[in-house]
Amino acid sequence: MEITTTPPPVARVVNLTKSYGTGTARVTALDEVTISLERGKFTAIMGPSGSGKSTLMHIMAGLDTATSGESWLGETNITDLGDTELTLLRRRRIGFVFQSFNLVPTLDIEGNILLPFELDGRRPTSAESEWIAHLVSTLNLTDRLRHRPHELSGGQQQRVAIARALGARPDLVFADEPTGNLDSRTGREVLALLAAASSEYGQSIAMVTHDPIAASYADRILFLADGHVVEERPRSTPEDISRFMLGMERTA
Amino acid sequence: MIRSTLRGNSPSVLVAALSSAFGVCLLHSTNALGTMIRGDDVTGSSDTAAFFLSVVALVFIAVAVFVGSIVTVNTFATIIAGRTRTIALMRLIGSSARQQRRQVAKEGLTVGIIGSALGAIIGTALAVTGIAVSTAAGAIPALDYRYFELNLILPIVAVALTTWLASWIGSRRVLDVSPIHATGAAEEMTHEQSRSRRGRNTVAITLFALGMLILLAGTAIGMVSPLGVLVGVVGGFLSFTGVVLGAHLVMPYTLRVVGRAFGRSAPGKLAAENAVRYPERSSRTTIGLVIGVTLVTMFAVAIESFQVFIAEAQKADPLYYTGIDEMMVITITVLSVLTGFSALIAALGLVNTLSLSVMQRTRELGLLRALGFTARQVRQMILVESAQLTVAAVLVGLVLGTVYGWAGAQATFGSIQGSPGIIVPAVPFALLAGVVVAAAVLTWAASVAPSRRATRIAPVEALAVQ
Repeated sequence: MEITTTPPPVARVVNLTKSYGTGTARVTALDEVTISLERGKFTAIMGPSGSGKSTLMHIMAGLDTATSGESWLGETNITDLGDTELTLLRRRRIGFVFQSFNLVPTLDIEGNILLPFELDGRRPTSAESEWIAHLVSTLNLTDRLRHRPHELSGGQQQRVAIARALGARPDLVFADEPTGNLDSRTGREVLALLAAASSEYGQSIAMVTHDPIAASYADRILFLADGHVVEERPRSTPEDISRFMLGMERTA
Repeated sequence: MIRSTLRGNSPSVLVAALSSAFGVCLLHSTNALGTMIRGDDVTGSSDTAAFFLSVVALVFIAVAVFVGSIVTVNTFATIIAGRTRTIALMRLIGSSARQQRRQVAKEGLTVGIIGSALGAIIGTALAVTGIAVSTAAGAIPALDYRYFELNLILPIVAVALTTWLASWIGSRRVLDVSPIHATGAAEEMTHEQSRSRRGRNTVAITLFALGMLILLAGTAIGMVSPLGVLVGVVGGFLSFTGVVLGAHLVMPYTLRVVGRAFGRSAPGKLAAENAVRYPERSSRTTIGLVIGVTLVTMFAVAIESFQVFIAEAQKADPLYYTGIDEMMVITITVLSVLTGFSALIAALGLVNTLSLSVMQRTRELGLLRALGFTARQVRQMILVESAQLTVAAVLVGLVLGTVYGWAGAQATFGSIQGSPGIIVPAVPFALLAGVVVAAAVLTWAASVAPSRRATRIAPVEALAVQ
């Protein structure tokens, strides 16, 4: 007899609600959302502007607090953690790749990649150093380590952000529109790198995007609209995703 | 219009008001002294004495106004750097760069007039109160002191005009803003760029070298004649002008060296980089303080060296030197207070620049917070940055001040015993203690406001700023 066990999710939210303002000016960005992100998978969170996808990411990443409901990272309930605890959590267990302005302009590339370790006041162990060296060479950054961010192209800067995000082997990497500022060819390279990080190294990744092509690189796609999860799909083609998004727009 | 101008420019108004209050109050004091001298005029030479007093006062006012102008240039340049996108948007809509710059200069004139008038009122109020209190206490004779002397116009007009000029110089970068900047951030000059301005560098280095040679000659002449000080003053003035002009060659290196002393922790390292990120800006920020510290140190060291020298001489001939100590101590206290005022204005400039530059880094701070900088580490980073600017300026000022102070003492008093004598430079302990305390207070004071602002913003908000 075969027993299949689903591994515990890397992160989940339960009945998560986030609203801004009070009275008639009250805006609900997230309304009783419950989702879980599978460990080792590349999940895309899709939705039009104002769907609440960025708010969801911010709360799951410990950058923002919820109005009600719970947010978990692995076995840790992060809902009521204080500022310092959330900061340490982000530093040690979460990686970030933002749309732009990912790198500290005053540090060179190596300094940027090692920043999470520096913040922790420690040097990478020899195993970690090996891993970072591997990342740097895979991402073609070896001869860029002494450069400053402004000397690099947009695609190279995103690769540095990926190296930094993966370097400390965090539980979960959040990517917020990581290709939003790139041309389409460079964007595809960055997406392929994220997909490879997940499939080859088992890195859990959550990517927020409104671009169907970007979402097509993910193992699983969650669709958000008006603060609700409206659909969940396995890996899909850009055409299918676009069709679904257009349908969402029409019914809205 | 005026209210909106003032809101963004309150630091510059404060600097203008301080300079003008200082000038007006000082002239009121010398005018009152003049009245007193005339009161018991026997020799008929009182007019000359009063005139001489005003001239000395004007020299100190000129120094304060000069330091105030440097501070204002810097404040305006920093404000412009933060306004790049607004200016670019105006350019996009069709405004010319010259129009935009004239707009800034107009703000400068408004700031100058209001600050200067405000300072004149404060300075006069202080002088009237001071004289009234002194008269009541019987410290000075009750005479008919006049508060509307013509020479008061000088500092008032000078401050208004230099603030206007400073805003014009500080707004130079408006010309570099192209409409395309409306879509992205612009960079200030990098270290390499600012070093490459050959013309200015050559002038700075030449002035410094030439000035130092003349200063050396002055000290040599001082061994045989006190007239050496006149030569020395020329050398001191030239070489110091060289230092001020070449600040961008000296200060970034000093900042780097000082930064290294603050350790290799992540906040320390980032602070060290931030302090030299815009070398132009940090050079201007620190050079004002260098001027202040140099002047205070110069007078203190000159007098201390002289006193040590005199102490030796007194042993040989006690009678000849009686009473000279007290006179020198009073002179030096007055001079230190007068020059210390420009240090105060410069300190204010450091507070301004640090606040503005942290404000312009909102997004970067958001990124650092997202990546795991705790609020405490952010505060630490800003404190170290503040300490670095202060310590670098104070160190350079102490070194220069000691050199000038010793040279002055040597050139003036080297021949006092008739035969060529060497005066050993002496640094008074009180000065060192005072400087350390003042530097610590300034470091802390400059970092309070930006730290509070930086830790209050949530990372999400900071990252949302485009």
